Amino acid sequence: MVRRKNIAKKTGFYILVLLLVIFVAYPFVWMLSISFRYDTDAFEPGLIPERPTLRQYGELLGLVKSIREEMSQEEQQMMELIKDLPPEQQEAFLAEIGAQRKKETFPFIRFFKNSLFLAGISAFISLIIAIFGAYSFSRLEYKGRGMIQRSVLVVYLFGGTILAVPLYQIFVKLGLFGSGARSYIALVIIYVVQTLPVSLYMLGNYFRTIPYSIEEAAIIDGCSRLQTIFKVVVPLSLPAIITVYIYAFMIGWNEFLFASIFVRPYPEYYTLPIGLNELFNSAHAIWGKMMAASVVTALPVVIMFTMMEKYLTGGLTVGGVKE
Amino acid sequence: MAQSVKVGTLKIKERNLGWKLIIPTIIIIAALIVYPVIYNIYLSFYDVSISPGKSNIFVGLQNYVNVLTDPDFWVSFGKTLAFTLLTVVGSILAGLVVALMMNRNFIGRAFVRALLLLPYITPLIAIVFAWRYIFLPIDGPLIRMLSTVGLIDSGVDLINDPNNAFWVVTIFNVWRNFPFVYLMILSRLQSISKTLYEAAEIDGANAWQKFKNITLPELYFVIGSVALLRGIWNFYKFDEVYLMSKFAGTLPIYIYEKAFLGVPEQGVAAAIATILFVGMMALIGFYVKKVLKW
Repeated sequence: MVRRKNIAKKTGFYILVLLLVIFVAYPFVWMLSISFRYDTDAFEPGLIPERPTLRQYGELLGLVKSIREEMSQEEQQMMELIKDLPPEQQEAFLAEIGAQRKKETFPFIRFFKNSLFLAGISAFISLIIAIFGAYSFSRLEYKGRGMIQRSVLVVYLFGGTILAVPLYQIFVKLGLFGSGARSYIALVIIYVVQTLPVSLYMLGNYFRTIPYSIEEAAIIDGCSRLQTIFKVVVPLSLPAIITVYIYAFMIGWNEFLFASIFVRPYPEYYTLPIGLNELFNSAHAIWGKMMAASVVTALPVVIMFTMMEKYLTGGLTVGGVKE
Repeated sequence: MAQSVKVGTLKIKERNLGWKLIIPTIIIIAALIVYPVIYNIYLSFYDVSISPGKSNIFVGLQNYVNVLTDPDFWVSFGKTLAFTLLTVVGSILAGLVVALMMNRNFIGRAFVRALLLLPYITPLIAIVFAWRYIFLPIDGPLIRMLSTVGLIDSGVDLINDPNNAFWVVTIFNVWRNFPFVYLMILSRLQSISKTLYEAAEIDGANAWQKFKNITLPELYFVIGSVALLRGIWNFYKFDEVYLMSKFAGTLPIYIYEKAFLGVPEQGVAAAIATILFVGMMALIGFYVKKVLKW
């Protein structure tokens, strides 16, 4: 009697787990499935693709030409049009068209590089500033420290929505607008600010766990305070530093609001979030490619996360992710 | 005597170094967060020009009058409150149930725990398209499934319809953020002392009584702080809402569209942002007082 009740309970529990797994995995499973199909097959009902293909990934990464490039008759028509021109002009014209078309199709690699650059640089700057700040918070005694620490925590709750208009006005006045490169400077500065509070908080918490006696020993051996930061504290907190870097990187990698405000007029400078969104809104029936792009966009973050899982989930519960 | 002087200079040295190391942070945060917030309030009293050559025109409270008499604003405001409330309650309930499940031992737990993080850590842009796909009318797998069961009409476009977009966005937000809640609750759950439960068992408490009298009180603080944090974040959430559906109609979207699309009215946008800011400060103040207890 008791055993039967137990079995029923157990089965009920496993059904619950199964439902949870389906709830979480559902969109991901479809994303993967569609990414292995041709765009024309995107709406076949089954989950398993009938004509599986790696073509979408190949096109994204520039390994194969897109179908549009292959099949178009544009080349021949173009030749008809320009056959009366002198040959050197013909050549220049064709090169121009070719370059143009390459840009237009699906500039995923460019988005990817832009995002990598922006998120990488801003996370690095934020990390450096945060190492000094967190050391100051966790190791040095001075009046006003607690107040500053609390203000940082409160500021961490402010959101981009509230800052969008004033920051736009400020950067326009400073002249950091009007070209892609200038917008990038504005974006790096904004991303550093957005990531700084989390970085400070997480690093500060970690630095406090390092025994002070190790630093004292280094100071007795003749290190200055500043030297101990780089010779003792940084090497000892390498996992935390990598974790913080990944967090800051993810914030930049994800950011949409400010990217859309500052680089919308400059397609050359689109990051992944704004680039993919604009592509999605302008093109039709490219589900296969969108899903493959989604998978490739998610991969770096998911890989970093699985490699650093132990530290990162710890960090999640301590600091939360700035949103 | 001599020693105390020595200690004194050391203290001063330490203080100086402390300030030197924190100054960059202070400058950056003051210039790019505190100042813009104040500047935003200033802008909300102006008709803000978007061309650098033209100067702003002072209009007093006109922007606020325009906003507060605009019925669209109130609809949007209501939606924002409903969105915040629903997503907080939804993600806390889901997070609590899942945390209780994951606190037990079962076959495949490591796999499920790893999977559970995915909604939260996957870059937003990499997951919204999959969500938009499953919600496509007629061809979207979720819509197809629901219409076979007879729950909805297969032709209905949930995402591009202002009436339904709100619900899709809410569900999406709960799906994306419940792992955060679950992690916070689970880490607290695992630190509850086992002896409490043993004592309760000796007293003859059943599972529900144990949950109600031990687990819930122990979780009270963490649930409270997570609810407030999520509430504050979701109150001004832009990207997760906008990328899922432009038609969800919450205030952050309203601000974005007023400020950067069509004919920009940045003064009006600043006024709405100020109103949002006041609401958010109330939430933060509550958080600081009641949860952090400063």
